[in-house]
Amino acid sequence: MSDDFPRLLRSLTEAGVRFILIGGMAGIAHGSARLTVDLDIVYARDPENVKLLADVLAPFHPYLRGAPPGLPFIWDAETIRRGLNFTLTTDLGPLDVLGEIAGGTFSDLLPASRAVKLFGIECICLNLDTLIQVKRAAGRPKDIEAIAELEALWEEKERSKD
Amino acid sequence: MSRLPPGLEPDPVIEAYKKDVDRTLLRENLKLTVEQRFERLFELQRFAEELRRAGREAWGRGTDR
Repeated sequence: MSDDFPRLLRSLTEAGVRFILIGGMAGIAHGSARLTVDLDIVYARDPENVKLLADVLAPFHPYLRGAPPGLPFIWDAETIRRGLNFTLTTDLGPLDVLGEIAGGTFSDLLPASRAVKLFGIECICLNLDTLIQVKRAAGRPKDIEAIAELEALWEEKERSKD
Repeated sequence: MSRLPPGLEPDPVIEAYKKDVDRTLLRENLKLTVEQRFERLFELQRFAEELRRAGREAWGRGTDR
């Protein structure tokens, strides 16, 4: 099956999963020109949301990305509760499901997020200032080009206000 | 002089990379709606996947260059 991120986002949203779009896809929402190939979300860790997340993704066969096939990996609420951050393959595309990032948890990031309308659904997306801050805080060399582009975007947006 | 979100200081490495950012692409993207930006991304992803498929067909998956 080929990637279908709109369907993945729609499935999460329609099931009522509480999550924030971060990473490269959030960058796209803000105007980034970088090609990204996975979806990164920060999810709320309360038991109800964890159960929703487990149930909605299960039909799409989540599996640990990069792990050898055949590991006894069970995607359910208990696995999510015992873990925190998961880098997954799914039938609809690569998905990073994160309970906490350098900028904090879902609750920490929610005030720095805003609803965006996509394909007829409403997703919560991290704002540009905070996206830059969390990418900087992560301190990963591979993010440097992306941060430079996000900061350039920020400057362009500021310039257009002047 | 670089302008940054509140609370952030310029990072010399990031500033060096920033010089090479193609701002013409960013300005074009900023003219689009959020949905149009995602539509372009997914078109590009489909195109990249087609290029990968064509590459595998032409060169195979092994060491053939």
